[in-house]
Amino acid sequence: MSLIHYARVWLASARYSIVRTMMFRFDFLMWSLVEFFWMAVNVLLIAVIYRHTNSIAGWTKYEMLLLVGTSMILQRLMMGLFWSNLFELGRNIRTGSFDFFLAQPGHPLFMISTRKLDPDGLLNSFVAIAVVVYSVRQLGLHPSLTNLILYVATLFSALVIHYSAVLLIVSYTFWSIGSQGIEGSYFTLFEFSRLPREAFRGMANVLFVYALPAVISSNVPAGVLIHGFRPVHALWLLLTAAAWLALAVFVFNRGLRRYASASS
Amino acid sequence: MRTTLHKYRHVYLVGLQSNLVYRGNFAARGLFSLFHLVVVFILWGAVYVGNDRVGGFDLRQTLTYFVIMLPLQFIIGAFNEDYQISEEIRNGLINQFLLKPVNYFAYRFSVFLSARSVSGVLVFLPLALALPFIHHQLSFPPEGWRLALGLPAMFMSALIQFTIAFCFGLLSFWFLEIQSFVILSFAIETLLGGQVFPLDLMPAALYRLSQFLPYYYQMYFPAAIFSGRLDLAQTLEGLSVQAAWVVLLFLLARLLWARGLRHHTAVGG
Repeated sequence: MSLIHYARVWLASARYSIVRTMMFRFDFLMWSLVEFFWMAVNVLLIAVIYRHTNSIAGWTKYEMLLLVGTSMILQRLMMGLFWSNLFELGRNIRTGSFDFFLAQPGHPLFMISTRKLDPDGLLNSFVAIAVVVYSVRQLGLHPSLTNLILYVATLFSALVIHYSAVLLIVSYTFWSIGSQGIEGSYFTLFEFSRLPREAFRGMANVLFVYALPAVISSNVPAGVLIHGFRPVHALWLLLTAAAWLALAVFVFNRGLRRYASASS
Repeated sequence: MRTTLHKYRHVYLVGLQSNLVYRGNFAARGLFSLFHLVVVFILWGAVYVGNDRVGGFDLRQTLTYFVIMLPLQFIIGAFNEDYQISEEIRNGLINQFLLKPVNYFAYRFSVFLSARSVSGVLVFLPLALALPFIHHQLSFPPEGWRLALGLPAMFMSALIQFTIAFCFGLLSFWFLEIQSFVILSFAIETLLGGQVFPLDLMPAALYRLSQFLPYYYQMYFPAAIFSGRLDLAQTLEGLSVQAAWVVLLFLLARLLWARGLRHHTAVGG
């Protein structure tokens, strides 16, 4: 299939998701409220802590808010674009419904990743963007157009990391079907993305900054707005995203070979 | 009375057996909670750099508060009781309880106690793993009354947690899908129950207001007693408000149950 065909499939899925959401408007409202409230919890944590201190690991209140806002944009995009699809992948492997995707005219990874959109997650990404814009204004920053483009580009690389992490976690189901709930470890892992890199010391620095990509996925994009573009950091993020995506796709493909459908 | 106790003792024992099947899940959940504890230690460690005290408490007291929260969540927290009740209403399994001399609230509470007995014991495994690394960063207050008053506070917290979950489960009498209600409520409980930050760090007026909400008594209250964030007078006042919430929520559960049953249609035979 050509790229245009893939784009058409994605658009058709997006249209279907929006029509479906409009059919269940109350659900849409409730889920939007749920996501909004979880974001408010993170913002309130910052507000409460900075009542008692002026700095966390050298980060001021609005720098921290910008970091948390960036982390929220990533998580909302992840929830809006991919979460339901990857969450259901685990369930489909267990039940054998994954066959349905193998029979579709397109790469299974694309078909499973793009079947649904969650408009509530996407809608709330605007709230997260508003948090970042507010922080930028409070900090008196005036990022150039180039820096804004680079911020979006680093966010995109970070989104690749988030996607790869969830795909990797869910692909474990190919080997162990009794792994219900394992998807939740994504939230545990990316809780670290709301912390400034400078707060990590010793083993925690090695493990959570260098080995696992949660911290850099938010710190590098936020750094573009706060300190300006640093090519070394951007390259670090880009290479990490490429490595994690390659690993996730490799593991998914190996899992695909193991998949033997479900017995009836 | 003895027959009634005997009946629910059996429910508890059967619940214990079925929950032991999920011992791996509970243990894994406990292990994942250690990651959350790492986040807490890194964040609050950074907050205290240059500050000896935050909100009147030193770093060791604040870390102790969060460490105490961990086993409390597994001993008194409602995990998925609301879903289980919702499922029983939606697929009609609840009909069997309407025909038997079983009080559904007492039945569900017995199952809840059995589940918390299993998760409450298993959470000490990851905690035992972590303690050698973190014990020097903790400080437990020496007063004996904290244990004497903290334990009944814990039991009433469990009752509040369960009754709120029970009420949410009963919403299935009116709504087909309650998942969004449950997760929204979970977010509110997480915040106002003091799991994100100790509630006493909020502005004084908000903190005072939170003391009149049931969420304060779900988790923060016992954790604050054990970790030394509340004095004796505050604890005694809290216990009376907590008892009032237990009664109020119990009455609410009864009301929802009675109204819900009027709404309910049992189909098939």
